[in-house]
Amino acid sequence: MRLSEVWRTTTFRLSLLYGLLFAIGTVALLALVYARTAVYLTQRVDRILAAEASAEMTLPPSALRQTIDDALIVNGRASVFALFAADGARVTGNLPSLPPDLQPGGRPVEFPATADFPASARLLARRLPSGDILVVGRDINQLREIRRIIASALIWSGVFIMVAGLACGVALSVGPLRRLRQLQEASHDIAAGDLKRRMPSSGHGDELDMFADTVNYMLGEVERLMAEVKTSTDTIAHDLRTPLTRARAQLHRLEQSASADAADIARVTAELDEVLERFIAILRLSELETRARSAGFVVTDLGKILDQAGELYQPLAEEAGVQLAVSAAAGVTIEADPKLLFEAVSNLVDNAIKFTGEGGRVRLELDIGGERPRIIVQDNGPGVPAGERTAVLQRFYRSERDRLTPGSGLGLSIVAAIVRQHRFRLELQDSEPGLRAIIECRNTT
Amino acid sequence: MDVPNVDSRKPGLPVPRILVIEDDPDTAEEITACLTASGFEALKAFDGPSGFEAATTERFDAITLDRMLPGLDGLALIKALRDAGSDAPVLMVSALSDVDDRVDGLRAGGDDYLIKPFSPKELVARLEVLLRRNRTSGAEVRLRIADLELDLVKHEAIRAGRRIELLPMEFQLLEFMMRNAGQLLTRRMIFEKVWEYYFDPGTNLINVHVGKLRRKIDGPGLLPLIRTERGQGYMLYAP
Repeated sequence: MRLSEVWRTTTFRLSLLYGLLFAIGTVALLALVYARTAVYLTQRVDRILAAEASAEMTLPPSALRQTIDDALIVNGRASVFALFAADGARVTGNLPSLPPDLQPGGRPVEFPATADFPASARLLARRLPSGDILVVGRDINQLREIRRIIASALIWSGVFIMVAGLACGVALSVGPLRRLRQLQEASHDIAAGDLKRRMPSSGHGDELDMFADTVNYMLGEVERLMAEVKTSTDTIAHDLRTPLTRARAQLHRLEQSASADAADIARVTAELDEVLERFIAILRLSELETRARSAGFVVTDLGKILDQAGELYQPLAEEAGVQLAVSAAAGVTIEADPKLLFEAVSNLVDNAIKFTGEGGRVRLELDIGGERPRIIVQDNGPGVPAGERTAVLQRFYRSERDRLTPGSGLGLSIVAAIVRQHRFRLELQDSEPGLRAIIECRNTT
Repeated sequence: MDVPNVDSRKPGLPVPRILVIEDDPDTAEEITACLTASGFEALKAFDGPSGFEAATTERFDAITLDRMLPGLDGLALIKALRDAGSDAPVLMVSALSDVDDRVDGLRAGGDDYLIKPFSPKELVARLEVLLRRNRTSGAEVRLRIADLELDLVKHEAIRAGRRIELLPMEFQLLEFMMRNAGQLLTRRMIFEKVWEYYFDPGTNLINVHVGKLRRKIDGPGLLPLIRTERGQGYMLYAP
């Protein structure tokens, strides 16, 4: 795993971004703490200075000097006390001269350290009734200390956050990168033709797993489709080979014999017609499957479709000795392609009649009891074994019974394709005995 | 090559000329051979531009047109033909069997639509129907074949002076067959023209409908009018 790869991962970049944001947050927080503390401490110093100045100003001038000298002895290292004459000459105190911008009666001012007072201080000057100037002050090194501590905290925490962020980014990226590598390897194998291979899943259910699951689902579909294509190719080849072989044999026989009988030629033609019929059905099916959805959708009366289908198939049912009953309420409309829906229903009825046989009963019914209207074609024929019911809906699946019956054998596949196109649902149930095919429609208008 | 058993055209009528526009030489050859054998005069064109030129410079009674052509595709060609004032009936031949494609083809000016793969006989049968449609006005109120009479206004069928009860679809089926009397009508043609559905109804379905109609029309002791053309279709025919 190269570092440039790590650097490009989303995880790494996100960690870095978060580190930066966190650092900015920390700076802002510490700055706020410092500002509030500084303001508080300054105000506190200023209040003390004002109180001290006021107290000393109430003393008589003779006592004042003594008090200052006493205070200097007790507190001279942390506080400033000084008395200047009106002309600026120092009378007493630990301030060598009156700073020029210190206005008597003005606000407290900050001053750097001097030889007499080795720390920076806030000073407050007041003019006495005698005209002398009293200066009181306090060491404010505390504030500077706090500022220094906070600054160093800032630097160290910043360094720590950046280093930790980088480390986290690398650490967090390495795992996903490794899994990405596995996914890549798997997809290369799949691209090389191993359709059984699946994307590895860590089982954590994270986004890579979700992605892998999606891809795996897709692979399942691809595998299924590939299998279907293979099966259908085999089926087509198998189904076409039989009539073609027969036709060829008959043609060969005709070639050998001196006279060509019209009936023989008709037989060959019939074989080839069967091939053509099957081809037409295959083309129809592939057209249905590639057709744009909802291309010819209009408001369609289901009852009408069922009645027409019943009318169309009644003679066929009669001839086959099958009793065909239609019961459909009028006025149930849905959005559908009526021609296609009719084709689907026709195929179901056709199948039902074909497989039920002499003495059977077929019922074509519109069930509007549920939430969605359902077209039900029910017969009492042999039905479809449970194991085959999903398979018969698949493209080109032909069950054994189909092979013995005339027709393209693609009827149910065509029904399934039409139902899929409408986003309806097709279900085959056992109606004990027989088969119940249900088309569940949707979006009633 | 198969030849329809009955040449329905009345003697004395000129031989219909058919233009076959088809890019596959084998298919074109097969179609023209079949047409010639059926008593037509057939000319070939192998692409859109030459087909257009032939159709606009010479007179043809009908045109068969492959939908997918090099140079100029079938739909564009048919529009160009109609714009150029040609009213020869056009039979479109296409591998696209979808209803939408059919609608496109017919909307562009095609008169009928045949799906590949087809049998040459089906092509000839459809051409015959197109040619006949062009010769009759379609405004008749009464059709008559031998002693079978169909009153299109009163919706009545009378055979040998006796009224026959017909269901609505049976009436339409009989009307279609009488309008195209003497023509071979394949099952698929019948299903498309009478029921107006375009999927494959299977062989048996149309057989039973025609069979039922036949039992009503061709009663015992009467001359059979509906004939089965084995493996191909039906023909209503007055001997």
